[in-house]
Amino acid sequence: MIRYVIRRVTLAFVVVAGVVILTFVISDVVPGDPAASWAGPHASAAQIARARQYLGLDQPLAVRIGKYFAGIVTGNWGTSIHTHRPVLSDIGTAAPATLELVIAALVIAILAGVPLGLAAARWPGRGLDHAIRVGSVLGVSMPVFWLALIFQLVFAQRLRLLPVAGQYDPNLVFSHPLTVRTQLPVLDSLISGNWAMLGSTLTHLILPALVVAAYPAGVIARMVRAQVLDTLGEAHVQMVRSLGFPERTVFGTFAMRLAWNPVAAILALVFAYSLVNTFLVESIFDWPGLGSYAAASVSTLDTPAIVGVTLFVAAAYVVANLVVDLVQAALDPRIRLR
Amino acid sequence: MSGIGVRGFGVRGGVRGFGRFLRANPLLATGGMIALLIVLIAVVAPLVVPYPADAGAATHPEMALQAPSAQHLFGTDQVGRDVFSRVVAGTRVSPLVALFVLLIACAVGIPLGVLAGYFGGIGDETIMRITDIFLAFPPLLLALAFATVLPANLTSLTIAIAITWWPWYTRLVRGQAASVAGRPYVEACRALGIPSWRILLRHVLPNSVTPVIVQVSLDFGGVILTAAALSFLGLGAQDPTPDWGLMVAEGQNYFTTQWWLVTFPGLAILLTALAFNLLGDGLRDVLDPRRVLIR
Amino acid sequence: MKRHRGRLIAVAAAAVPVLALTACAGSTTPASTQKPVNKVFTYDTTAPVMVDGWDPATEYSDGILAMSEMYETLTRYNSATNTVGPMLATSWSSADGGKTWTFHLRHGVTFHTGRPMTAQAAKAAIQRTIKLNGGAAYIWAAVKTIDTPDQYTLVFHLSYASPLALQASADYSAYIYDTQGPAGQTGNAFTSWLNAGHDAGTGPYTVQTWNKGQEFEVYLKQFGKYWGGWSGTHFTKVVFRVVPQDTTAAQLLRSGQVTFIEQIAPSLWSSFKGDSSITTVSSPSWQNLLAQLNVKALSLPVRQAILYAIDYRGIIAALRGAGVQSSGIVPPGMFGHFSDLPDYSFDKAKAAALLKAAGYGPGKKALNLSLTYTQGDSNEQVVATIIKSDLAALNVNLSVQSLAWPTQWAKGKSSNPAQRQDIFLEYWWPDYPDPYSWFSNLLQTESPPYYNLSYYSNKSMDSMINQVEPLTATDKNAAAQLYKNMQVTIVQQAPLVSLYNANYQYAMLSGISGFRVDPAYPNVVFVHDLKP
Repeated sequence: MIRYVIRRVTLAFVVVAGVVILTFVISDVVPGDPAASWAGPHASAAQIARARQYLGLDQPLAVRIGKYFAGIVTGNWGTSIHTHRPVLSDIGTAAPATLELVIAALVIAILAGVPLGLAAARWPGRGLDHAIRVGSVLGVSMPVFWLALIFQLVFAQRLRLLPVAGQYDPNLVFSHPLTVRTQLPVLDSLISGNWAMLGSTLTHLILPALVVAAYPAGVIARMVRAQVLDTLGEAHVQMVRSLGFPERTVFGTFAMRLAWNPVAAILALVFAYSLVNTFLVESIFDWPGLGSYAAASVSTLDTPAIVGVTLFVAAAYVVANLVVDLVQAALDPRIRLR
Repeated sequence: MSGIGVRGFGVRGGVRGFGRFLRANPLLATGGMIALLIVLIAVVAPLVVPYPADAGAATHPEMALQAPSAQHLFGTDQVGRDVFSRVVAGTRVSPLVALFVLLIACAVGIPLGVLAGYFGGIGDETIMRITDIFLAFPPLLLALAFATVLPANLTSLTIAIAITWWPWYTRLVRGQAASVAGRPYVEACRALGIPSWRILLRHVLPNSVTPVIVQVSLDFGGVILTAAALSFLGLGAQDPTPDWGLMVAEGQNYFTTQWWLVTFPGLAILLTALAFNLLGDGLRDVLDPRRVLIR
Repeated sequence: MKRHRGRLIAVAAAAVPVLALTACAGSTTPASTQKPVNKVFTYDTTAPVMVDGWDPATEYSDGILAMSEMYETLTRYNSATNTVGPMLATSWSSADGGKTWTFHLRHGVTFHTGRPMTAQAAKAAIQRTIKLNGGAAYIWAAVKTIDTPDQYTLVFHLSYASPLALQASADYSAYIYDTQGPAGQTGNAFTSWLNAGHDAGTGPYTVQTWNKGQEFEVYLKQFGKYWGGWSGTHFTKVVFRVVPQDTTAAQLLRSGQVTFIEQIAPSLWSSFKGDSSITTVSSPSWQNLLAQLNVKALSLPVRQAILYAIDYRGIIAALRGAGVQSSGIVPPGMFGHFSDLPDYSFDKAKAAALLKAAGYGPGKKALNLSLTYTQGDSNEQVVATIIKSDLAALNVNLSVQSLAWPTQWAKGKSSNPAQRQDIFLEYWWPDYPDPYSWFSNLLQTESPPYYNLSYYSNKSMDSMINQVEPLTATDKNAAAQLYKNMQVTIVQQAPLVSLYNANYQYAMLSGISGFRVDPAYPNVVFVHDLKP
């Protein structure tokens, strides 16, 4: 077990290192002058040259990569060109909002996807099954930025059911100030009993979370259905059936327990996909998370920030994968021995 | 053995057999038909489009932002171009990008995967670690990182996404190649002195065809969504190219008052991705011999 | 000037917040004993406001939106009456043919740092502004010496005649501020203190928090000791909120979460018209959209061809009321504007002929050009698309790039000429109600380039620019004629063109009174003057 853990962790490090090198090599190809962008509107040629020095752009690529690696470990991920603050601190400010959104989306996706997948597997080949299969493919095929616009138009503007944008109602900041503890407004308002704020944060969370949940819900429903159907066809289940147990009991005993396996397996994957999907959704809903930060970085050609965000998401994905792998290995000895 | 096992009905049976086949696999049928329709539209687009110049550089500012009508089925955009013409012309943009991306991904990924799987050893390890690195990124993220540093146009978009996509095919094919490489008859071939390239060509590759076909049709939808997302962010097609993602981005500011600017291009993206995803799903169901027979 | 302000969305948050709404139903507390309600004015923008630092001496971009609440000038211009009115100075006079100016300062004005405003403090501020020589410091260029005969009198001695009272009302570099921090910081320490997000002004509001790079960027709270007082109802807080999307901002206004939208896509603005809870205001402005052509990269015939190729009427039509046809580069309503100037009009044949002579055009070699405009501005995007299409008809491939303002500007100022664009789109508005800033900033020889992004250099134009300012103070008619000559020269040499004059299209919640549009202070809302 220990050896497995060591192997996986080492691999994870190698992968992240490769990610960094790759993104650095990519970003080195940048046309345009980040130093000029950094030095700002009033810069003279001398100031731009100084900026180039400060940003380390006058050194060879290998040296810069080396320094960056050293920096990653010490927490220096470079400085963002458009905010002039350390990239890591920018990410730290923005990440919780995205995390809140992704977690909410995944919760919705699981709550919707698992029962739907089970229902489809329970009565396969019938109308419900087809409808759910089409629905899940629909979720997977949905251009998430389009869905965001449509939802915003229909629910927020035309029907006035839900708020348009933002994380919470700004007026509440004065009347019901939020004590920040976890940086997740929903959690913070829950902890401090700030009910007005809780209501506001929840209503603001619904639309973006629903939009981001479309993809993972589709994936989860499909996987649950496939896994359950597969297992229901296996020998030992056939045997139980042949013993005369009703389908209802067979399903209940085997399927329900198995449904969680595929969900766990792809949780890391849909987490990462959803994280990246928020890039497209956040600017539409004015959600102050990584996505808005990434979009702003893209439009200002802010390479350190883009590299930082890429690294962060990749690292998050690798870590999530690692955690899931380790948990599965702990539960299933066959995996460790491979 | 490669499993071209058609579910329930043999390749015989002619047209009636085909009809039954379609009814037994409704999702495959639907997906296939829509996909075929889209391909057809793409082929005849230049002939069918009512205002061909609008799909290019023409602008008619006097007729900007008109609602859908008989002359303009999908209305006009902010510089007066016919949205219907642009959406139809768009069938030649994103799907073509997707086609090229997957061609490149296969051209690069399959040989690498075959070599890695068949010969094993250090080459295999290296290639696998490299693919690990790429697979550590959700595709959109990696493509985004690449696209940001390349000049924004369709070629860069294609390259950026292709770089992201090839590792999946390497992984896919490597597994197949490795399993074939271990089989007795292949060992026999080697013992007989048959050159490797012959073995690769005649035994390893054909086994990989089926999963690749399925993967390609599944990926088609994914690539289209990625390309649309990148164009939406401004990193892909540029005006006046009638790219659907770009049209959604341009229409955003007008959306609440002129809904047609965003709705139709978005629907086009959705339908195309949906069609190919259904097709891919259906193909996987049909071609995978391990799938349980439901009926 | 300094642009990127295509569209600022000023969003004013509605007055009565949730406090009143969450009060228990059935409460019969009479109004007089209720807790004082926070009246918040939220100003919504597409991009952060404080991008040029916090120094009132050198600010030359969108920061004036916030600074106009925190800082004040000696005089204030009133476009409705075309006169200069009192602000921090209560009266003034000029002598010696416009070379000596005496200002009498208001009593009882306190800086936000706690110190009283005196003539010495005002003098220190102006001298510091002149010394730093940033922003629009050129408005003080004529000042030779400043005397302070007593605590409340300022006397300026100029080296040449200049309309100083008018220049003192400028929206940039004319602020009177304390030159010491609250802890006595001076010099560089003071500048650093300012740039950390503090203000040393005299205005009705002072900075509460600065959340750099975040959505709610700046919070201003009322300054209790403001000389203008707080009697009656006023907004007590001003918030600057960054909302990049027009549609989101529109929806925020509709739902009452914002009170004032400054500039928004014209079709969205028109959609407010039927809504009784929203008031729309349209007003001509002194802001125009300029296309600056790179004179170093493009020859004169090519530049003229481009200007003939543009469908100006089409642009106006596509803007749906957001713009009107220009004549020359000085906007209407300002002296120096002439509506009968020879100008370029849409003439495809002439454009083709000029291109042909240069070896380009339909059937000949394709010409590849680049254009940059400011990201986030839907009007500029529409204009860029139309220009691209107009040029495409003449076998000119225009590659259009939308960039965030700092990036667009940096590229235009790039030390490597190969990296610069061929056509630069930006808005311009005057520093004070005078055409001078167009010419001094955009057409004077500059090395390295700053705002002259057509890289135009013409000695006779330079000398005309040098003459016109003193002339304005002594012989306005002659100055107007000189402006006419300059504009004719511009038409002949084609370094830039004004594509349209912007109409300010504001929208705000009904029920707010006291709002007056003033082109002299573009997109600035003097919140203290409003009654919620």
